[in-house]
Amino acid sequence: MAVTQDQPFVLTKLDEFLKWAQSSAIWPMTMGLACCAIEMMSIVSPRYDTARFGAEVFRSSPRQSDLMIVSGRVSNKMAPVLRQLYEQMPDPKWVISMGACASTGGVFDNYAITPADTFLPIDIYVPGCPPSPDALIYALMQLRREIRAGSKAQVLAENA
Amino acid sequence: MSAGLSALVNNPDLTLSPGDDQDTLVLSMGPQHPSTHGVLRVMLRLDGEMVLSAEPEIGFLHTGIEKQAENLFWQQAITVVDRADYLAPLSNSLCYVLAAEHLLGIDGQIPPRARVLRVMFTELTRIASHLVWLGTHCLDLGAQSIFFYAFEMRERILSIMEFVTGARMHQSWFRIGGLGIDVPKGFLERMDDFIDRFPERLADMRAIVEKNVIIVDRLVGVGKISQQEAIDWGLTGPPLRATGIAYDVRRAHPYCDYETYDFDVPTQTAGDSYARFVVRLDEMSQAWRIIKQTRDRFPGGPVVIDDRKIVPPPKTEIQHSMEALIHHFKLVSSGFNVPEGHIYQAVESPRGEMGMYVTSAGGNKPWRVRWRPTSFYHTQALKRLGPGNLIADLVAIIGSMDPVFGDVDR
Amino acid sequence: MPDAASPLGVRAPLSDVVAMLTQAAGESFIESAACDDMDEIALRPDGLLPVVTALREAGFNHLLDIGGTDHHPLSPRFEISYIFTAMPLGDQRDPHRLLNLKRMRLRVFPDDVEPVVPTMAELWPSADWPEREIFDLFGVHFAGHPDLRRLLNPDDWKGYPLRKDYPLRGLDRGFVPGGRGGAVPPVRES
Repeated sequence: MAVTQDQPFVLTKLDEFLKWAQSSAIWPMTMGLACCAIEMMSIVSPRYDTARFGAEVFRSSPRQSDLMIVSGRVSNKMAPVLRQLYEQMPDPKWVISMGACASTGGVFDNYAITPADTFLPIDIYVPGCPPSPDALIYALMQLRREIRAGSKAQVLAENA
Repeated sequence: MSAGLSALVNNPDLTLSPGDDQDTLVLSMGPQHPSTHGVLRVMLRLDGEMVLSAEPEIGFLHTGIEKQAENLFWQQAITVVDRADYLAPLSNSLCYVLAAEHLLGIDGQIPPRARVLRVMFTELTRIASHLVWLGTHCLDLGAQSIFFYAFEMRERILSIMEFVTGARMHQSWFRIGGLGIDVPKGFLERMDDFIDRFPERLADMRAIVEKNVIIVDRLVGVGKISQQEAIDWGLTGPPLRATGIAYDVRRAHPYCDYETYDFDVPTQTAGDSYARFVVRLDEMSQAWRIIKQTRDRFPGGPVVIDDRKIVPPPKTEIQHSMEALIHHFKLVSSGFNVPEGHIYQAVESPRGEMGMYVTSAGGNKPWRVRWRPTSFYHTQALKRLGPGNLIADLVAIIGSMDPVFGDVDR
Repeated sequence: MPDAASPLGVRAPLSDVVAMLTQAAGESFIESAACDDMDEIALRPDGLLPVVTALREAGFNHLLDIGGTDHHPLSPRFEISYIFTAMPLGDQRDPHRLLNLKRMRLRVFPDDVEPVVPTMAELWPSADWPEREIFDLFGVHFAGHPDLRRLLNPDDWKGYPLRKDYPLRGLDRGFVPGGRGGAVPPVRES
């Protein structure tokens, strides 16, 4: 993060420290809906091991988690529940929409399924049906880059 | 005689009505809860920690799979059918594919290699599903380390699936007429490696959990159900086999040559959670036995039937044969017609008897694909199994019934 | 395939079962057929309770499934299918005795405009939820059901999704802010 003219040095360093702390220990919520939830469980399994990224602590309570991974298809009955859970999470919070069903409705183009971004602000979309745990870890890495950079636009600017 | 539903409903102790007893608490457990194995809400009426009544509420994963399948071609519907019981996708597609093949009249023509591979991969799916059950059930009980053992073994199975079919879950590999693609070179070596490793790993896992004093204490006597009640509540699979009835669809109504394989149907008599636990552990050993037999058989030959009106020709042929091109075009753009009729086809999924009542109206799309959802009936049984237990026991019972909510809600 | 001479758990040979059920159905009987998978009987709703009682006497004690089908535009349009198995009790740990169990299917065709079928929930506790599901998805009423309300869709859902005249994508496609039971569009701060 660059030192800008209108920000004092100490606050910038504090800001960097906070972003480093936030990105190094992202605690997801146990928000497993469908098939993607099984692949989400696999990321803490020995082969894919997100413990090395500080993200293996899945908190069940939304009050204690930073990240909501919408893993699975969102049905009509579940959408208000997800919104309530999102509102219960304290700031700063992020949402990853995992899989095709959560991102766009996926294979199911019918009355019962709604994409997650109709009622939640999504930070990262992960394609796949289900995405392999590698894809989800890549999304987590991307989220960490975003957090450290400050915003998505900053990430793109840095990588341009 | 079975307990009529009106007897339960008219019993004031078991009816949820707010505010008539100051000491009872009505608690909504779920739908987001670590130990409900998916999106289940159980409305609990509690006296302290004792459950007075448990009313499960479902529908949080209702996907409209049955409606979606009515709007896809017969071959395309395999993709949505896979996604119902998402822990055992190949079981779902096997059931659907067998039903469609029967309606088409080609079920006698499926080549032996396809039948053997179908059995082999369905049993691999059974082991993979039971490993998830084992890991998550013990996680609910507090035993976290077994989760890692189980998922590590499951990763091996999923690698084999990915090697052969291209996908870890939701393979959509079983097709009407055989299989989508033949197994690649190197498959047999990987299979042999798995067959060698698995018994020892299963023995390790069993040594950790089966006689573990905490698991035994938490599961023995919890969620006991008698044979008559199990039948009244529509249970099949491990919950029914744990009460002493060895009903297994692979034996009772064989399909895919299961009558030619040598395997036991594990049964217990206690009918409680521990009995269901042991039944599923034993089933993993039996599934391994069947996989070994399929490996020993492993016939050569084609994996699809020779009917170009149902199965597309190989891609290499399309490049130099006009007829093959036309067949391919016809199949992709408008599918094939299945003669009018209806059939109930059941398979033994890891959860129990999974069936499909498929109706065809003679067109190129299924008219109706009615699921006989195993976990639906098992989740409903929580109304009977919940009351009289502590909340922690309820968590153990839900795990021991092993519901998958894609199957319950579809 | 099944041996009619010694079926397990069923106290009469299968063809006798069909004949007995035809008699129990009386005037509500439509037809019977021996399909490849199992025998089936088609009947009207008034004959359902006597037939099911007779089935239970004959040993078919396990209600496997209750399913619904909409045959629109044919008439009768609704079909409720009941599948039963004869499950023996006692010490049945030897799977070699549980081969080729008998199954039976009933197909009930209620009225097209106001479909009503008597409930099985009194006889089998497992019938509670499938009947609620059929009510939810097809709109068929089950007379005598203790708690007939929607099961899979939200309680305020309009229409019966699995009917053939209900569009695949639903009646109100398109996001409605504040609709869908309270789900609201995201407000992004900063």
